[in-house]
Amino acid sequence: MKALLNRLRGVERDIIQAPQEDAAAEPYYEPQGNEIVLFEAAWRKRLPVMLKGPTGCGKTRFLEHMAWRLRRPLVTVSCHEDLTSADLVGRFLLEGDQTVWQDGPLTRAVKAGAICYLDEIVEARTDSTVIIHPLTDHRRQLPLEKKGQEIEAHEDFMLVISYNPGYQTVLKDLKPSTKQRFVGIQFDYPTEVIERRIVHNEVPELTEDQLHRLVALGQRARALKDHGLDEATSTRALVYAGSLIAAGLPALEACEAALVRPVTDDPELAEALLEIARAHFS
Amino acid sequence: MSSVEVLAAIQQELAGLESISFVAHRDAQTALVEVQPVAGDSVALEWLRACRVLFEHDRDAGKAFIRGSAEAARACAGVADWTQSALQFIAWRGSWRAVDGFMTQLPAACRLLGEADSKRWVQWGLEWCARHLESGIAWFQCPVAEFSGGHGLAGIEQVALPSVELFEKRRLALGTYLRGAIRVRDLSGAAAVLPWAKRGADILQAGRLRGEAYFRLESEESLALLMENLPGFRLSEHHRLFQLILRAWFGSGFDLYDSDWSPGKGRAWVETDGVALYVPLVMPERGTAMLSVMHAAGHLVFHSYERRYIEALFRAAGREHPPLDAEQRITWRPLFAAYGEDMIRFQLLFDLCEDTRVDARIAAQVPGYLRGLQAAAEGVEVPTGAAGEYIEWGRALLRWQARGGSGDERFDALHPLLDTSATIVDAFRIANVLYARPDLPPITLAGRELAILPWRAPNAARPVYPRNTLDEAAEKHEAETPDGEVSATDLREKQQTTTIPQQAAGEDPDMEIPPEDTAGSGGRVGVGLAQPAHVQGTGRGPEYSEKGTPYPEWDYRDNRYKMHWAWVQEKVLGEHDAAAAASLLAAHAQVLQRLKRAIQAQKPQRMAPRRRQFEGEELDWDATVEWVVEKRRGTSPSAAIYRQRRMQTRDTAVILLADLSTSIMQQCAEGGRVVDRIRAAMLLFAESMEAVGDPYAVAGFASKYRDNVSYYPIKSFDGVLGMRERAVLGGLSGRLATRMGAAIRHAVAQFDSVASARRLLLILSDGRPADYDDGGDERYLQEDTRMAVKEAIDAGVHPFCITLDEAGSEYLPQIFGSGHYLVIRHMNELPKKLPEVYFRLRR
Repeated sequence: MKALLNRLRGVERDIIQAPQEDAAAEPYYEPQGNEIVLFEAAWRKRLPVMLKGPTGCGKTRFLEHMAWRLRRPLVTVSCHEDLTSADLVGRFLLEGDQTVWQDGPLTRAVKAGAICYLDEIVEARTDSTVIIHPLTDHRRQLPLEKKGQEIEAHEDFMLVISYNPGYQTVLKDLKPSTKQRFVGIQFDYPTEVIERRIVHNEVPELTEDQLHRLVALGQRARALKDHGLDEATSTRALVYAGSLIAAGLPALEACEAALVRPVTDDPELAEALLEIARAHFS
Repeated sequence: MSSVEVLAAIQQELAGLESISFVAHRDAQTALVEVQPVAGDSVALEWLRACRVLFEHDRDAGKAFIRGSAEAARACAGVADWTQSALQFIAWRGSWRAVDGFMTQLPAACRLLGEADSKRWVQWGLEWCARHLESGIAWFQCPVAEFSGGHGLAGIEQVALPSVELFEKRRLALGTYLRGAIRVRDLSGAAAVLPWAKRGADILQAGRLRGEAYFRLESEESLALLMENLPGFRLSEHHRLFQLILRAWFGSGFDLYDSDWSPGKGRAWVETDGVALYVPLVMPERGTAMLSVMHAAGHLVFHSYERRYIEALFRAAGREHPPLDAEQRITWRPLFAAYGEDMIRFQLLFDLCEDTRVDARIAAQVPGYLRGLQAAAEGVEVPTGAAGEYIEWGRALLRWQARGGSGDERFDALHPLLDTSATIVDAFRIANVLYARPDLPPITLAGRELAILPWRAPNAARPVYPRNTLDEAAEKHEAETPDGEVSATDLREKQQTTTIPQQAAGEDPDMEIPPEDTAGSGGRVGVGLAQPAHVQGTGRGPEYSEKGTPYPEWDYRDNRYKMHWAWVQEKVLGEHDAAAAASLLAAHAQVLQRLKRAIQAQKPQRMAPRRRQFEGEELDWDATVEWVVEKRRGTSPSAAIYRQRRMQTRDTAVILLADLSTSIMQQCAEGGRVVDRIRAAMLLFAESMEAVGDPYAVAGFASKYRDNVSYYPIKSFDGVLGMRERAVLGGLSGRLATRMGAAIRHAVAQFDSVASARRLLLILSDGRPADYDDGGDERYLQEDTRMAVKEAIDAGVHPFCITLDEAGSEYLPQIFGSGHYLVIRHMNELPKKLPEVYFRLRR
């Protein structure tokens, strides 16, 4: 019955959700280097962490995995250019004749001792980024200016941001004073062997041969990054292509749909990518 | 007339001929032997009479007729008919050349067109004679085989049809038209002739000389049109595609240029001179073109032209050193000289071995490559004769290769070539083994073209610049990949540091290079010289004056202008380096991307909602709710609760003027040369301006004395930023001195062509204005520059100087005024700063 309801209207959940304990719920993650050890060390000392790396290389998945591993709830806030500090911290709302304070996601995470993940933080306005300053040093406090309060963070609270240097703008860069408060973990696209494991895990229907070709193709296409291609072919895109193939689409069409068309509008570049795809899949 | 009487009449005619001319009589007698048995006596008599009539009309016509008759009688049945036709030429004076052409082509016409159609050919030709004798002559002198192009009378009709109208409407003689039309038909098909002729008619109307040059296929526009209509895959439009693909497969950038191939110059193939790839405009189809480009690049990547291997090769051939030509390129001839007459066979075998080696290496890297090769090879039409055997052999070799090198003992000797450690020296050794075997027949130079598989080209036909990638890789102590993977740009860097003059005086690269080099029309006897096919050069037209444009110069000592003092010449920068441009852009891709995003944020004419305004069309709901809440809580918030949609237009035009004096070749403190930062900065600037869409121009300047200020327009306001412009920016170098005032005045004049209200002149400099003839008086040119800036401001142009000179703050405030300059202290910031400065200024 519950499953049926869920299918009918989607699932509503509170943002503070402790992860499920059982091993079956473990989000899949394939380590590429020392990132797990590093993150756990940072966690033990409750240091804020900055995840760097290109899109689609597994930053968010890594964090989901770590949250599960550490048994902490994860609160994700996707930052955008109109995100104000009130959106993070909270605001007064009108309720009848009264004003009522409502906590923002950051405040709730601070109180509940969750891992708060600010995705693409550079996109946010600078005034909203500075409010995390007191949270990220020894004080571990969140000032609620409008309420005239300060919140001491829960001892398990941890702040994580993602920061993709290829994304940011000249006008919007993280302030050096913000950057240097974090422990940085660099991500990149995985090596061919690891990437094969990842794609295999996500799309187990693929044959060994298809897997080899698909991943080799992705590695090739990455050579064109910075030669017109703003973002290289991501692992996520490879998984999508694999899924399309598994769903019965011819390999070449799947690659075109998942790997070529989304990343470029430039006909020559698309042609070059297609040529690489054809070499692998014809 | 009885037969006896006829014979008597023949004798009489002969006697008559003898009395007129000894030669005519002798030739007629010889021809009669052929004519009489075919035609019969009475027709022979008529023929003899025609000989006399034509001879009396015009001695040359008669002679031509008589001489051609023997052959004509053998080839054509109706002697009486063609005799009658020949007699019609009497109608025109000076028609002997027509007769000559008629008699020469008649046998071919009969053979190729058949009797009935050859009569039509004669008929049309005579009509042309009636219209215009010269055209008639051209008609008959045009070889029938070429004329019909293998399509019989229909072929002739296709070509000839448009010409009648052209003649009647525009008086275009057939002689001017015919050759070109035949070539157009042969190259682009019959359908292309009519459009080509129509376009020509328009041009003819515009100007006689230009039009005729067009029809003779001598003018650029006609060739361009011809190229446009060529069937096949147009490589010239896909250079970037090839570059991207090569980068994906081989991880390095290659320069691609149009080769000097043109239709009718034999087979089109992709060649290399050891540095760049030269691709023809058109190849028959896309697949072959793709394979050709990859194959040629494979030669570069897999060290066919690596210096150490070539030297080993020549040692193996018994020569101590490879011979170098004037440009330090290796010429191959001596390598093959030992094979004498059989040289071509050896060359082909050597190419087969080396190509097999390279293809094996590429196939290891590019999946599906070998399959593509096989498909291309199987698609070839096998020519007859020796060439066909080479093709068959090549196919069998590929099949053997696809099987992993087994199943055909003929090719066992080639097995080492499939190994990754094989080099061109192994290919040479194995070629010698094959040469000793009688597998393949000797072949002529003409047959060679047909004996090569479609994606391949003769490897040792051109002199090449030897590559040093392996040596450099070793020098760098890099972890050497199996391929010694080093990009082409590293190679370039090395060459340039040795060739660029460190001392400016008298060593300006532009002034030293003879004009031929920039024209690209080079070519040496015997061996082809790879050169770009297109010439773009200002200053070569009729308006060009050596002295250029004069500008006044301010003399602070006299407090007056010296009129017509500094002479500015616009010149084209000869050096270019597309690979460097590509790698610079790649190196700064992140910065560029950030810039582009910044640009999008302030793109002109963008409807951007502005939040939290004090006035506006609609409420900003977030702000409003906040305002109400704050109000209720008893505070007094500011009433910025509106949203505005405002068109933000910025109408700015900008010229980036770079100082290209010698000093930019210096090393800078952070390592590397100043010029590299300048190249990158200008490239990034241009690229981001493309994204902005504001009108912009990029130029450089240098000077040597007051009458020699060079202004190098790199991209003009109405020009486009193409491969060529990027390549020029990538290949910038320093020369001579800095006469800034004259350059500023010239740049200001450039703004005349744009309508923008705001005009910005960005000057990128690395030092004080100075020149060789300023007599050590720093202040003189400084004061002149100050005046030039003042003039610019008066003309509505806002000059802004960005300098790399740390001492810039000492003199720039006097010249540009405070706040109108920027000193960049960290060289590495320049590429990022330069576009940023512009965005700041244009707000």
